[in-house]
Amino acid sequence: MKKKLVSILALLMVILMAGTAFVGCGSKNSAEKGNTESASKSQVLTFAQTAEIPSLDPQLMNSMQSAEVANAIFEGLVRLHDGKVQPGMAEKWDISSDGKTYTFHLRDAKWSDGQPVTAYNFEYGIRRLLNPKTSSPYAFAGYCILNGYEYNSGKITDVNQLGVKAIDEKTLEIKLTNPAAYFLGYLSLACFMPTREDIVEKYGNNFALEAENNVYNGPFILKEWKHESGVTLEKNPDYWNKDAIKLDKVNILQITDPNTALSMYENGELDFVSIPNALWDKYKDNPKVKLIMNGAVDWLRLNLNAPGKPWLANEDFRKALNYAINREEYVNTATKGLYLPYTRLVLPMVAGAKGGKYTEECPIDIYPKTGDAAKAKEYLAKAMSALNIKDPKDITLELKFSDSAADKALAEVLQDQLTRNLGIAVTIKLVTYKQKLADDTAKQYDAVYNGWMPDYDDPMTYLELFESNNSQNSTGWSNAEFDKLIEAARTEADAVKRQQYFWDAEKILVEECPFVPLQCRQVGYLEKDNLKGMSRYFIGSDLDFVFAYFE
Amino acid sequence: MGRYILKRFIISLFTVLVLVTTVFILVRLMPGDPFTSEKMTPEIKANMMAYYGFDKPLYVQYFHYIGNLLRGDLGLSLKYSNRSVNTILAQTFPVSADLGIRSIVLATILGLFLGIMAALNNGKFFDYFCVFIAIVGVSVPDFINGSLLQYIFGLKLKMFPIARWEGFRYTVLPVFALSLYTLAVITRTMRASMLEVINQDYIMTAQAKGLSSWQIITRHQLRNAILPVVTILGPITAGILTGTFVIEQIYAIPGMGRFYVSGINDLDYSMILGMTVFYGVFLVAANFIVDVIYGLVDPRIRISGK
Repeated sequence: MKKKLVSILALLMVILMAGTAFVGCGSKNSAEKGNTESASKSQVLTFAQTAEIPSLDPQLMNSMQSAEVANAIFEGLVRLHDGKVQPGMAEKWDISSDGKTYTFHLRDAKWSDGQPVTAYNFEYGIRRLLNPKTSSPYAFAGYCILNGYEYNSGKITDVNQLGVKAIDEKTLEIKLTNPAAYFLGYLSLACFMPTREDIVEKYGNNFALEAENNVYNGPFILKEWKHESGVTLEKNPDYWNKDAIKLDKVNILQITDPNTALSMYENGELDFVSIPNALWDKYKDNPKVKLIMNGAVDWLRLNLNAPGKPWLANEDFRKALNYAINREEYVNTATKGLYLPYTRLVLPMVAGAKGGKYTEECPIDIYPKTGDAAKAKEYLAKAMSALNIKDPKDITLELKFSDSAADKALAEVLQDQLTRNLGIAVTIKLVTYKQKLADDTAKQYDAVYNGWMPDYDDPMTYLELFESNNSQNSTGWSNAEFDKLIEAARTEADAVKRQQYFWDAEKILVEECPFVPLQCRQVGYLEKDNLKGMSRYFIGSDLDFVFAYFE
Repeated sequence: MGRYILKRFIISLFTVLVLVTTVFILVRLMPGDPFTSEKMTPEIKANMMAYYGFDKPLYVQYFHYIGNLLRGDLGLSLKYSNRSVNTILAQTFPVSADLGIRSIVLATILGLFLGIMAALNNGKFFDYFCVFIAIVGVSVPDFINGSLLQYIFGLKLKMFPIARWEGFRYTVLPVFALSLYTLAVITRTMRASMLEVINQDYIMTAQAKGLSSWQIITRHQLRNAILPVVTILGPITAGILTGTFVIEQIYAIPGMGRFYVSGINDLDYSMILGMTVFYGVFLVAANFIVDVIYGLVDPRIRISGK
């Protein structure tokens, strides 16, 4: 009996081993084959996205994954590349002297089914974006267009009152509520892409859900969309500027786990990859790692009306918080230097009126990046005497963060610094991301961690967040002078004057500080040496591979 | 027997209804709403609420949902604009099931084999070896063994692809990683139940009749010892076939496992409900089948079931 069992066991083991060895050999061969293949057809770009693309319907897109693909398969009136506005479907345009009327003259261009791209396609797209029945999450982008807000919120129902009109096949007129210097660049957002009414009607609810359920007019065509797996783009042979496009094919793989993506990059399967924040420590001294600011600014929003916490309404107390934080130490401890300390609202990359950057032309330097514990205590003492509080421990503050490991690390450093430098009682509350947003809207917080990704290259995208009547301003902070300056900037056509309004407004905001600015986010990435022409920008599609090529 | 099956079936249906109702209420109690995002404005949110019918009273939404459910319609995903949960499941379930079936088959064959061998070699080296594998398999979480296998056999030895789901070679690592836990559970269960059976009187009778050891193992020991394994295989199969979050994520497999987590993070009500219904029906069906098989195999259960 025993002999028989031993022999069966031995036989099974041999089969298993042989099987493994066989599969092993096979894999090695095909792996080699794969490598030589990719070397011969070199103009194929492969990279990873971390999640399924939620939508490729131009007017419903609401995510970075969508924007990256949309930028390649569609083309709007203009194309934004490296922050510069280039002609797109519009060959040229005229802007009226009051800066409110834009007239675009379209070039001869074709959709991927051979039909011409017309001004009516743009008119239809913008009307569809703002139609409340479309329920576009990005409709707010069209609020700068005349009657855009009124039509989307149901205050008017006549679509003809909307400030967009196709004069003829080749001419499109857009009227704005106020002059907006950023508007041209804004038009490169996915939601302003042209859309074919006949195609939308043909597919109904299935429009743009599969690669074959839409037509394309961009430098690339969406060839295949394997849901949960990735998309394949191919060069569009009919694109008007096809000579500028070098890539033949782009594979965008869906790899949810950033560590897997990193392994695939190291194995040569991807051409570039982001470094997961959790692994930053391991890669930060690697000379091949590149860094980019992705446009996000983060801060603690303070609720001036938090019940039972009168100190939050006290400006001196809020100043004390701002002085007490050593932002330099904070980013180095919590993010190993990945994030950059920041002490104001508007992002450093935002363009200025005089050709430079806004933050350089309009410096604000109130709170030192390394903090100032002495000044913090001084302001705290002032606040305590005004509020008649004897012991700083009686002052409580709850920091609300979302429940990710990264957020928790940030919260703990802040808690430590505030406790150490002010002696107040600071607690941390971790909630789900959705709950954090809900609590923020419902004004149920003392201090909530959040941030902002810009929609366009202008200080307005940040500063209007703190206007009294802005739905984003849950702080309860309201300053008539600030509101007046923002409103003045909104209607001012002179760029230099407008910038002065912004500067004055931001100074008031940082001085009265209904928020505690913390950091600008950076992302590290690795990229193959022979890959050129990639553009990474802080607005719209962060990643622009349209003009990329391999040397 | 017919009455027994009918009774089980009605209980199963009722279980699913209770499940749907409970989850329907629970998701609405979660803080926040599906459309909240950093850039949402009240006007746009109102448009979206109206689009998905969330502006109606909750009981109207509930009956609407149950009505659709009876027609097999799980509704539109709230995160993946205009894609129906049915379509998403139809696209992702086959992949998860493929991965799952491979893992179950591997785990069952290897697990039964190791369990039987361990029991027959009770107290010897091979027994300890099997127990060791079982302990490792049960105690090492998927994300460790998945990453480890990927690192060693994918990145370092380059024997298998690191990730993705493109053909047989791509299945080896995830199937093995996913089967480890099940394999360990089956090994342990089979070993324990074999050891119990070996000491029964009827085995001694069989030996006394002069049957060969091979006949005793296959005819008497295995048939009696395998019952507990059948019991645990039901829910394990339902769990593995309907997707596994960790292994699918590590190996970038386009299955449905991800939605268990992302559905909740996104507060995608229809997705959460759809996943619950799908998994619930699967689990209830698996248990129903196990119950029926039990009834067929063991008359004692059939009688007490009345």
